Amino acid sequence: MDRSKQNKYSSNEKNDNGDGGSVLNGHFDGMVKRAAGGPQAPGAESAPHRSTSAVMESWKEERTRSLEDNEMSLPSLAAAYTTILRGLGENPQRQGLLKTPWRAATAMQFFTKGYQEKIIDVLNDAIFDEDHDEMVIVKDIDMFSMCEHHLVPIFGRVHIGYLPNKRVLGLSKLARQVHLLYFQERLTKQIAVAITEALQPTGVGVVIEATHMCMVMRGVQKMNSKTVTSTMLGNFREDPKTRDEFLRLIKS
Amino acid sequence: MDNSHSYKMSTVHRHHETSRKESEDESRLPALEAAYTDILRHLGEDTDREGLLRTPLRAAKAIQFLTKGYHETIDDILNNAIFDEDHDEMVIVKDIDMFSLCEHHMVPFFGKVHIGYIPNKKVVGLSKLARIVEIFSRRLQVQERLTKQIATGISEALQPKGVAVVIEAAHMCMVMRGVQKMNSRTVTSAMLGVYLEDPKTREEFLYLSRRT
Repeated sequence: MDRSKQNKYSSNEKNDNGDGGSVLNGHFDGMVKRAAGGPQAPGAESAPHRSTSAVMESWKEERTRSLEDNEMSLPSLAAAYTTILRGLGENPQRQGLLKTPWRAATAMQFFTKGYQEKIIDVLNDAIFDEDHDEMVIVKDIDMFSMCEHHLVPIFGRVHIGYLPNKRVLGLSKLARQVHLLYFQERLTKQIAVAITEALQPTGVGVVIEATHMCMVMRGVQKMNSKTVTSTMLGNFREDPKTRDEFLRLIKS
Repeated sequence: MDNSHSYKMSTVHRHHETSRKESEDESRLPALEAAYTDILRHLGEDTDREGLLRTPLRAAKAIQFLTKGYHETIDDILNNAIFDEDHDEMVIVKDIDMFSLCEHHMVPFFGKVHIGYIPNKKVVGLSKLARIVEIFSRRLQVQERLTKQIATGISEALQPKGVAVVIEAAHMCMVMRGVQKMNSRTVTSAMLGVYLEDPKTREEFLYLSRRT
C-alpha cells in the first residue's frame, strides 16, 4: 500500500480488512491521484499508479460495477432468490411470488448501487472556490445501507459539518445517499475521508445515528436502540470548541 | 405441515404456509447459505474478505428467523389460553410492534398493530394476541393479507362478537428504493362481526386505539 504521503488528517486509524485506509494528499487539478487498492479485490490491477485521469479509489476495494454487469448478474441473482424462497418453505409459483426473485434482485442491486459510483464523479463537478471559512453543516440526511453481517437494512441520519478552506462543496452532494455494504463505523470514516480528499478543508465532522434492523427485528430485538458513530478530522478533532459547536448545532 | 394432529387445522392457514417444520431449518441452511454467497458475488463483493466471511450463514439464519411464522399455527399457541369469562365489553391491545417482509421485494416493512375484540363468553390471554401477530407477520407477507389473517385467526379461535385489526406500517421497499418516500405510511384494517355492522362500535375502537 502506498503510504508515502500521509494526510495530516488521518491519524492512528487502525488497519481494517487490509483496505489500507491510506489517505493521500491528492493534487487538486480537477482529478485526484489514485491510491493503491486493497489486496483482496479480485482482478484488481497490481500497478499502483495510473495516469492522472484515473479516479480516486482509496476507499474502495472492488472495481466498480457497471450497468452491463448489473444486467448480466440479474438471472443469477434471481435464481439465488428462488432458492431462498424454496429453502424457506414457500411456494415460488404462487401468484404473489412469481416475479419476486427478479424484484428482490433488482432491489438488492439498488441498495448496493454505491458500487457503481465513484465518489469523485459524485463530488467533482460541484466543488467551487469560495472565500468562506465559517462552518457549513448539512444535517438530518437520510441514509440507507445494508449491514454486511446479516444483509438486513440499516437506516438513519447523517450529519456532516466542515470548515472550508477556500473550497466549498455543492450542498446536495453532501446529501447523496450512500448505498454500500459496510459497517456503520467504516461508513462514517469514509464519508469524512472523501470530503477531506475532495476539498482539503480545515476540518470535517461526520456523525451517523442509525437503527440496525438486525438488532430490532432479530437477535436482541431492541426496538428503540440507535447506534451513533462519529469521525472528526482536522480542526474538528483538535479544537474542542469547534467540535462542540458542531455537535450542538446538529442537536437542535 | 403434518395434518395428522388431532385438532382441526385453522382454515386461516393455507397449505404452503405451514409446510416448514422447525426441525427442517437446520438442514436447509446450506442451500440458503450457498444462495447468499451467490448473491454477494453477483453484487460485485469479495466473499473472502473478513467482514463477509460468515455473512452467508448469518444472513441465512436471519431470514429463517424473519420467516419463522411459517412454523407456527394459531392452534399451537392458543390451545390452553382461552378462558370462560362473562365479559362482553371491548378489549383492545394496541401499539403491538410488528415486523414483516414484503413478499414482492423481500425487504422489511414494520409498524404497529392495534387489535380490538368483543368477547362472547370467551377471552384470550392478552399476550396471545401479540403472539398471533408474530405468527402471521414473521412471513413473506402483503399488509392487506396480514391484517385479514390476524382478524380471521382471532375470530375462528374465540368466536367473539366482533374483531377489529388496524395496521399502520412503513414499507422499506417504498422508502429505500422506488418512489423513496421517507415518511409515508400504509394503513390497513379488517373489521369483522359487530365492528363491521355497527358504526358506533367501530368508532369507539378507532378512537381508543388512536395515537395518544
